[in-house]
Amino acid sequence: MKILNKTNLAPLLERLRPEFEVVTPLYEGHDILFGDLESSKLATNFIGKPRLSPKEYLFPQRERLFTFKENGSVEIEAHFNEAKRVIWGVRPCDLYGLKFLDLVYLTDYIDPYYQARRANTLLLGLNCNEAEESCFCSSLGTGPFAKEAFDLLFTDLGDVFLVEIGSKAGEKLIEKGTNLFTSATSKDREKAKLLEGKAKKTFKTSVDLEKVKAKIAAASDNPIWAEEADKCILCGGCNWVCPTCHCFNVEDIKAGRETQRIRYWDSCQLAGFTQMATYNSRAAQAERLRQRIYHKFSYNPDRYNGQIGCTGCGRCIDVCPAGIDITYILQRVANE
Amino acid sequence: MNKNIYTPDLAVIKKVRDEAEGIKTFTLELKDPEIKESFNYRAGQFVELTIFGVGEVPVSITSSPVNKGYLELSIAAVGKVTQALHLKKERELVGLRGPYGNGFPLNEVKGKNILFVGGGIGLAPLRSLINQMFAQRGDFAKISILYGARNPDLLCFMNDLERWSKVENSEVLLSVDVPDSKWKGNVGVVGTLLPKIDIDVKNTMAFVCGPPIMIHFIILDLLKIEFGGNQIITTMERRMECGLGKCGHCNIGGKYVCLDGPVFSYKQLRELGENI
Repeated sequence: MKILNKTNLAPLLERLRPEFEVVTPLYEGHDILFGDLESSKLATNFIGKPRLSPKEYLFPQRERLFTFKENGSVEIEAHFNEAKRVIWGVRPCDLYGLKFLDLVYLTDYIDPYYQARRANTLLLGLNCNEAEESCFCSSLGTGPFAKEAFDLLFTDLGDVFLVEIGSKAGEKLIEKGTNLFTSATSKDREKAKLLEGKAKKTFKTSVDLEKVKAKIAAASDNPIWAEEADKCILCGGCNWVCPTCHCFNVEDIKAGRETQRIRYWDSCQLAGFTQMATYNSRAAQAERLRQRIYHKFSYNPDRYNGQIGCTGCGRCIDVCPAGIDITYILQRVANE
Repeated sequence: MNKNIYTPDLAVIKKVRDEAEGIKTFTLELKDPEIKESFNYRAGQFVELTIFGVGEVPVSITSSPVNKGYLELSIAAVGKVTQALHLKKERELVGLRGPYGNGFPLNEVKGKNILFVGGGIGLAPLRSLINQMFAQRGDFAKISILYGARNPDLLCFMNDLERWSKVENSEVLLSVDVPDSKWKGNVGVVGTLLPKIDIDVKNTMAFVCGPPIMIHFIILDLLKIEFGGNQIITTMERRMECGLGKCGHCNIGGKYVCLDGPVFSYKQLRELGENI
């Protein structure tokens, strides 16, 4: 483990720039959002999470898959983004989100677009010393301190960061900034342990995951689905901000003899999600809400070796204009 | 590098046949000889069909695995992509990915009586299996095919139906909801044909495909005459983009229709806990 003086963070990240795009949390008005590093806006000691997860950098909201050129025959060109990228400041919830997307896109059939981005992205995690009101990662075992799925992991010890190495690629980054780091002592590690314990006590929301997993299969007729769905205004916000939502639409856009095949995020909360030419298989909003929760807490664990499709980041709670709260739904599932 | 799972292979339209009102059958041949050679499928599987410049849709395969070297897709013009396909002519190119999905059980139902119940274009995936069974006819006991459509102009595969009806220990019964002046057969939904045939329920497997409402009522009819949930096999249709379990559209309960289906027994479907 290493120690990095906080004043050396920006110089370290700047040093990586010739080789990498460097993405960090930035102060943008009243929000914190990921963006290309600007030292003057770099957010290092914020509470909770950036408004959006860094999912966009691995699985963009909209991306081009192919160009089809019709010229007697059809020429098919695939488009990959292989830019080398470092993302600093990835919270433990978001590290789990990307670990989950790896399961979806890199097991069984490999999605080559995600794979190209993933292979060229280094994740520099940042542990959380304090939870926000909507955070519930501690209930799901995904935070507030990360245990895996990072190349480097930073812990804020006050004036300095404790830096844990999680991969060979992370170790190489340390070598690039070698004169900026010092060795960590056992005292530093003890301090981090203490901070982890303190952080766990800052959560205001909790969910009994084991109880949810045990009860969810039998909860399909719970009145909670209709009650909560009744409030929904169909904005799709819960899906748009979710670090694990991976559903997409594909569309062809033609201009002259060239067609771009694009894909873009889709939302299971919108009626069009299951609309076919003459039939919609999920007609009621209650079924759509149940799909969102079941996909995350029942279907995904069944498919992916127990891994849930929720990080506990609470962004869907923050964003919902109707006050639909996933922790309330899960508590009802667990307790009825 | 591994092949990009989303890349369509080019296929040539070899033949276009008017199947029924608003329904055409397209015979396709993959352009690349190697891909064509290695393209094998099971009855009940589907492909993703690209009309370049318009989009991609999942379509069940209606030709039979015993027909080598080409594929047939029977398609009703109901949406943007299928309407564009209907304007396509012989020698034009389309894109194909697949085959995807699980397919119908075949060896598992050998020796049994087989009951097919089809509605409209829903006969398309069943036809793939029916032709495969008739190619090894001795492996199955009685085969009954009940087929209905809204009106006589919407009945598909009349040549096949005629051919199947002439085979020993096989029967074909047709019905239409609304007859025209020439129609001499049964009138009513396809389920009204069920009481007209002898069914040894214990030794029979039923294969059902058609519009959701028809599947719903046929299943009720079959349950009433004491078919078990695992004796009723059907094939489901869902909104689908990728065909590979990534796009998340085709869940029925925890199953993806693209990977775990499209063929399910009624028993499986009931356990999935969503409307079918």
